[in-house]
Amino acid sequence: MKRRDFLKKSILVIAGASVPLSALQMVDPKKVLAENLDIHWAFLIDTFKCVGCGFCVKACKTENNIPFEANVTRTWVERYVYTKDDRRYIDSPKGALYGYTDPRIDMGMGEYKEIDPDNVGKAFFVPKLCNHCITPPCTQVCPVGATYKADNGVVLVDRSWCIGCGYCIMACPYGARFFHPTLHVADKCTFCYHRITKGMDTACVNACPFGARKMCNIRDIDDPITKIIMNQRVGVLKDEFGTKPQAFYIGLAQEVR
Amino acid sequence: MDATRKLTLNDIESEITGRLLSAGKGYYLAVLLSALMVVAAVAAGLHAMVVGHDHTYNLTREIPWGILIATYVFFVVTSTGLCLVSSIGHVFGIESMMPIAKRSVFLSIATILAGFFVIAFEIKMPWRMAVYNIISPNITSNIWWMGTLYGLYLVLMMFEFLFLNLNKHRLAVGCGFSGAIAGIAAHSNLGAVFGLLMGREFWHGPYMSIYFIASAMMTGTAVIFLFHYLAYKINDEPMESRMVESLNVTRKLGIMLICVIMFFTVWKMTAGIAGQPGGKYEAVMALVKGPYAVNFWLFEVGFGLVFPLVLFYLSKGKNMFMMFAGSAMMIIGIFIMRYDLVLLGQVVPVFHEYGVNEYKHLLSYFPSFHEIIITLGGFGVASFLFLIGEKLFGGHKVEPGHHH
Repeated sequence: MKRRDFLKKSILVIAGASVPLSALQMVDPKKVLAENLDIHWAFLIDTFKCVGCGFCVKACKTENNIPFEANVTRTWVERYVYTKDDRRYIDSPKGALYGYTDPRIDMGMGEYKEIDPDNVGKAFFVPKLCNHCITPPCTQVCPVGATYKADNGVVLVDRSWCIGCGYCIMACPYGARFFHPTLHVADKCTFCYHRITKGMDTACVNACPFGARKMCNIRDIDDPITKIIMNQRVGVLKDEFGTKPQAFYIGLAQEVR
Repeated sequence: MDATRKLTLNDIESEITGRLLSAGKGYYLAVLLSALMVVAAVAAGLHAMVVGHDHTYNLTREIPWGILIATYVFFVVTSTGLCLVSSIGHVFGIESMMPIAKRSVFLSIATILAGFFVIAFEIKMPWRMAVYNIISPNITSNIWWMGTLYGLYLVLMMFEFLFLNLNKHRLAVGCGFSGAIAGIAAHSNLGAVFGLLMGREFWHGPYMSIYFIASAMMTGTAVIFLFHYLAYKINDEPMESRMVESLNVTRKLGIMLICVIMFFTVWKMTAGIAGQPGGKYEAVMALVKGPYAVNFWLFEVGFGLVFPLVLFYLSKGKNMFMMFAGSAMMIIGIFIMRYDLVLLGQVVPVFHEYGVNEYKHLLSYFPSFHEIIITLGGFGVASFLFLIGEKLFGGHKVEPGHHH
């Protein structure tokens, strides 16, 4: 075979091979099914109601067997303190596992910062968890499809399938993923899938004493939480990435990222 | 040995044993050292798997990819570069580049194996990857494409090397051509592994895929020179004039590619500074005058680009030691380039770290003992295979006038 012929044939083979791949994408049975489903889980966080007690973090770790002292957690609470002289302090010691009982800011490495209460401009707490995005960057990058979006909107990880490459952890712009300290696979919030599919609330929703966390089926327009999401001014985190997060926030400040 | 005579297994065995026993003390010391590095790395890697990576590697939720990913990238960049630069001669028929073909193809196999060795200890469940990559592909994932194409690439390069040694040149050219395409596809996908992460400003965009190919070729020229120089030292032979000429052409190509990468670097840095783009600016400034400034100015710019450029130019293709020093510096510089590239995409926090207050600060990372041992093990694999290959394949001789 001459080089020219060889080149021609190679190009033909490559062109031919690329056709069936695109066809595969067009008929995705999951997509077809999802359009007819009547459950799609969403989350609502009212930052005005959060007091930073950390009960949600404790409940989540206990419910989902995440080692208590490990510096990873499926849900966490961040504290934002803005002083009148325009300094901002954000901390989340152990993801707020033990709550914010200390008024000092945890600077890390054992350092703490006293802030004069009279100098505080504004201060608030922001609970965070997986946003269960409509277009999740994490599922796109998983080389073996170990993480996937269930038809009811929940993004899950198959622990027996995960190869532990860390690409999903890298892809998540929210820091919602981490390596499970003892199982060595990617881990994240599942909206307590084992509970919500049995009609129960998630562990964090259940544990929150002030109702700052709520869940709903966003396809059910009569659901009171869905109504809040639909009718009130709610925000989402980092929508500039096109991820379409399904964790909605009431009272989201611009500085929260 | 007379090629027309039928070889018996005994002949082959005695031939190979003869070659392996023909070396000097330094050679065996180098082989032993490489082997020890590999053994230590295997021990460290297995220990990490048993005890748990989070106890043995300095990786966190914030920085999940460390020096092992950088080392993997370094080795596959090197392999792709070797494949692409050597294909200029024996695949695309540029006569002056032909003498470097066999050794370069062999080294491209050795370096990709070194890369796979390192990544096997980085991935938490590597045995699952081998299975699920085949039975459960996710075609939207760049890691899947990269892994699969590099697998294909490895097979093609192995066949190419086989056919080169069997003097079946038409088949070798076919494998070499397909291997080069698979290599480019795989390598640009590796760039995209970083480039398609929307939340990582320092990496995001088409730049990484394009830069990786140019950078691979630049690395290829340095590695080809370095290993050919070392090989002739090991085999204790004077370099043939054809080989000298071939390396001179490689040197010229190297000079051009250094300039290309300088051009890439200038615009990458400029785009990261102008207008202070969020995420990028902090990373670029960390390189310019932050904690990565020594890495950047001394290693990336100095060792990686400027010193080799000057040495390559001044050597005029005749001063072998100058070229050797230039290529050795370049390889050190390129390793630091890969390290910085992987780390800088992560040290600017995209989300708040637990327990730390300021948003605009850089996260810190330093490789753990285990990570360093495994990194060295990667180099051990590459040098072990190189050393053994030199003797096993009798100095990778390419006879003149073989090619059609």
